[in-house]
Amino acid sequence: MSPLTWILGLPLLAAAGLCLVPRTSKGVLRTVAVAVTAVVAWMAIDLLLGFATAPVGRGGYRFVQQIPWVESLGISFFVGVDGINLGLIVMGAIVAFAAACVSWEIEDRTKEYYVLLMLMTGGILGAFASLDVFFLYFFHELALVPTFIMIGVWGRGERRQSAAFQITLYLTLGALVALIGLIALYLQSGVRTFDLVTLTDTLAANPMPAARQYFIFPWLMFGLGILVSLWPFHTWAPLGYGAAPTATAMLHAGVLKKFGLYVLLKVAVPLLPEGAKEWLPLLAWMCLGNILYCGWVAMRQRDLNQLIGNSSVAHVGFVFLGVASLTTVGVTGAVMVMVAHGFLAALSFALSGFLYRQTGSLDMGRMGGLLKQLPFTGTVMVMAMMAGCGLPGFGNFVGEMLVLFGGWKSDLLICGGWISFRWFVAAAAWGALIVAAVYMLRAVREMFHGPIGETWRKSNDPTGAWRRLPYVVLLVSLLALGVAPRLLTDHIEPSAKLIVDAVERSRPAPHLATAPGHPIP
Amino acid sequence: MQPETLAWIILALPLLSAAGITLFTRRNAGLSAAVSVTAVAAAFVASVLLVLSYRGLHIPAGECLIASVNWLNVGGLSVELGLRLDSLSNVMLLGVTGVGLMIHIYSCGYMAGDPSYARFFASLSLFMFSMLGIVLASNFVMMFVFWELVGVSSYLLIGFWFERPAAADAAKKAFLTNRIGDFGFLLGIIAVWASLGTVDFLDLQRALAADPQALGAFASLAGVLVFMGAMGKSAQFPLHVWLPDAMEGPTPVSALIHAATMVAAGVYMLARSFFLFELAPAWPESLGFLSGISALDVIAWTGGITSLMAALMAVQQSDIKRILAYSTLSQLGYMVMAVGCARPEAGMYHLVTHAFFKALLFLGAGSVIHALHHEQDIWKMGGLRSRLPVTYWTFLVGTLALCGVPPFSGFYSKDGILAAAETRPVLFGLALVVAALTTFYMFRLVLVALRGEPRDAAASHAHESPSVMLWPLRFLAIASVFAGFWGIDTALKRGLGMAGASGHEDHGGFLAGVFEPFGHAPLAAFLGLFATGIGFAVAWTLYGSHPVRDPLPERLGPLARWMRDKFYFDEAYAWLIRCTHDALAAVADWVDRWIVAGMFVRGLAGATDVAGRALRLVLTGNLQTYAFLAAAGMVVALWIVVL
Repeated sequence: MSPLTWILGLPLLAAAGLCLVPRTSKGVLRTVAVAVTAVVAWMAIDLLLGFATAPVGRGGYRFVQQIPWVESLGISFFVGVDGINLGLIVMGAIVAFAAACVSWEIEDRTKEYYVLLMLMTGGILGAFASLDVFFLYFFHELALVPTFIMIGVWGRGERRQSAAFQITLYLTLGALVALIGLIALYLQSGVRTFDLVTLTDTLAANPMPAARQYFIFPWLMFGLGILVSLWPFHTWAPLGYGAAPTATAMLHAGVLKKFGLYVLLKVAVPLLPEGAKEWLPLLAWMCLGNILYCGWVAMRQRDLNQLIGNSSVAHVGFVFLGVASLTTVGVTGAVMVMVAHGFLAALSFALSGFLYRQTGSLDMGRMGGLLKQLPFTGTVMVMAMMAGCGLPGFGNFVGEMLVLFGGWKSDLLICGGWISFRWFVAAAAWGALIVAAVYMLRAVREMFHGPIGETWRKSNDPTGAWRRLPYVVLLVSLLALGVAPRLLTDHIEPSAKLIVDAVERSRPAPHLATAPGHPIP
Repeated sequence: MQPETLAWIILALPLLSAAGITLFTRRNAGLSAAVSVTAVAAAFVASVLLVLSYRGLHIPAGECLIASVNWLNVGGLSVELGLRLDSLSNVMLLGVTGVGLMIHIYSCGYMAGDPSYARFFASLSLFMFSMLGIVLASNFVMMFVFWELVGVSSYLLIGFWFERPAAADAAKKAFLTNRIGDFGFLLGIIAVWASLGTVDFLDLQRALAADPQALGAFASLAGVLVFMGAMGKSAQFPLHVWLPDAMEGPTPVSALIHAATMVAAGVYMLARSFFLFELAPAWPESLGFLSGISALDVIAWTGGITSLMAALMAVQQSDIKRILAYSTLSQLGYMVMAVGCARPEAGMYHLVTHAFFKALLFLGAGSVIHALHHEQDIWKMGGLRSRLPVTYWTFLVGTLALCGVPPFSGFYSKDGILAAAETRPVLFGLALVVAALTTFYMFRLVLVALRGEPRDAAASHAHESPSVMLWPLRFLAIASVFAGFWGIDTALKRGLGMAGASGHEDHGGFLAGVFEPFGHAPLAAFLGLFATGIGFAVAWTLYGSHPVRDPLPERLGPLARWMRDKFYFDEAYAWLIRCTHDALAAVADWVDRWIVAGMFVRGLAGATDVAGRALRLVLTGNLQTYAFLAAAGMVVALWIVVL
């Protein structure tokens, strides 16, 4: 049996098992959740280390397992990894472990909470492991529903009901629009299967007519874009994360949100190359909305969670830019940003959740001098913020750098070639190096430096190795990616190249063939 | 041991020290300091051994040793974690570890009793690691990586006393200003890579030597973009505003980072990638109005303007550290100007000698500040010659070296720069004015702060600093005197692959070496000395009688106020940022709150709500209504199907 089946199955089994545990034994509930996620994280890391030597299965995927299910519709349970989802699964498993660790803050209805947490974890890992479009979508929904419930029940702040309402509305809408696109793809492919490998091979051999691709691609792009807070569909993210319990914000912002990007990269772009070429210039414009506009919005925030939420939206823009560049370097960078940002978003929300528990407020104006009072939390938070403004040594730098390098060489034409993609790279570099540094350093200045603010007098650092472990694990993961990026990039690159080549191979769109441009080396 | 192995050790030692202090010894102040000092001392010894073994290999000029492991390899982008050893990096290695060692030792005394003693040494070690990384980097991306790390360690050290708002603000300002430079630097690196397919210095140099047109229309633009990085790090106009504020950090930090090493990184980078700036001017069509201006012109004028402007500002400062800070700015401008005049070895030479005497001056100033219980205003000092004799005499040595008095090292390196500028009359004149101003403000400082009678109670009770602080002063004073005779310039020429540097240049004995500049470039040497003399004469006239107040503002009128207020750059920039970046942020925030979230989202939610209410009207619970609706629906469906 593929280790992937265990990775996604164990949390789901744990969810079922936890239903049988009496609600009074909180210790058991918590121990089971932490232990299961620890085992899953360990298996995922093992997967990463064994990836290079594992035998290659169907469609170039490794650790493949396929069990037919509804053959009349072409649905099967089909899991496997390539370079793109490898990092996401490892990141998801580690973040899930950290999320289970920080869940000690939940004190009421613990049983339901841990059941939902396990369900969400299983759903997330299943969504990234599945190579069957039906299960891909199914697992995503399986993870999404607990998100809404957790915000509504264990959320915080006065606006949690409206936040839960808005996030539900938005994400359901996004999922629905994407579903329409996926069904259209399924019907139009002509093979009546949800099997991603078969779909890819068939559509590579007999591409869909360009007109149909032009029609289907935007459903996927906008639907998935809404799921990932693509500008201007982003306002749910800061609001929702501000109201969500810590573990939910970590898992959603860190991992589940990457689903939209992953499907865009894994399904939409390679299966609909003509549609991609037609619509990606628009995506390039919109991702500037993420990088610059949301960065500017973040500069104005007074509340730490709103700041982290907006900055997280801004970082997602780099993934879109990397995908839009359609170069191997850019796409590899996009995947790297996805993974690194997952760790970073989880770490940021874990820390802000901790601070909220300490003081009941995240108003930065009332903070100050935190490094003196909480040296551990303060140090980790400063490092997280430095990672957020693209400091080398952290994984984000590698990803963003690759996106910018790749983008510079992109020959995607914007506005019929009037505007070079290089201007987008320059604007994104401004966002990465300046705007991000401005809001991060302003936050550091207000929260950690200066005289000690009134809200901190009674606060303390987390004590004991277990309480500090989740932050350390996430920080070490970020550092590992930044110091030794080849841990992932060596695996990502061949898969990214396949996707880029798939688009390259497709019949060049008429305006691309005639326009002057640099050939891709 | 092989030079390559030694280079890895040199790079690893400070990193291990920083990590070790942070993780294990941070509660033990003494042990942390010992770890840090030992690491840098070992790095210095290793550097000496490295240079000796490198010399033993007889590597020809322009060649180098490279040790590397692959760090990243994606598509056409391959980045090595590479260490490059040649005479250029060897000189820097010795300078950085040597000055660094002195300053580490000095810090043990200066920072004694600080509650965050361990954190100070951890940050200092992190800085040493990053700086050595820049020195050893064999390619642009690695240099950029360490460049950013140097920026962040500078941020940590400027903001070391982060409870003080001024220090926290200065740290933020330094980081952000540097980031603007880095923005250009990164784009420049990307542009070079996109055209030539490599980021390695050696490969780039070879590619451009083989085909100088390889960068096409991007040649000058790429050069200027890369130069932006140096503008940020070396605090060149218009990104100079952060350096004076950085003096909020502890004085050893000012000496090490903001005088001797980090700010010199920009000049080092320019020398390292000099091949990029030599290219014939070529601009993209959209920047056609710049045609004919080469990247070197931009560099030379930026350096010249910076050196003059900063020297003028230094004349009217009254904070001892700020005077030295503006002096650093001015000298950095000199170095950049030398690079711009196509003489990178002259800029690098001045960089090295300047590292010694400016570190000496800062440490001397630190000793004064330490003795006066953190008083920094020179008008509250005075009469320190007899009370702080070692500090006074070493400070005087540093001053003479900075003013370029022979045979102090500064004379030789500054002469090289003046000689480099000789071909450009305007810049040459400007450089002479700067030389006069330098002597003027330095002797103003010496005469007001150190000589005469004490103006303040603290000054009259001052005691000499502990010997752990005085020995570094003595060593640096020795280096400031003799660094002109160590053959640094020859080594640099060899490192830069300059013509005529392959053999051993024989100076014909020590005395000939002392007077060499007068024979080599007599105009520059004599005019330079003349300017120094004028500066000293004016300073003596104004301050020789030990006035209580500065007589200069009365004579200069409003100009003095402009000089004191730094020509209002800070205010202008604050206004500019408020009008552009902050305004954009405000607009974005407003749009987000009221248009995107307000109208669209509430509108969508409202529409759903209205639809729900409308549908509720339909659900009346009345059977006839349902039957009617069902029938109507069937009619519509039939109508669609049939037609």
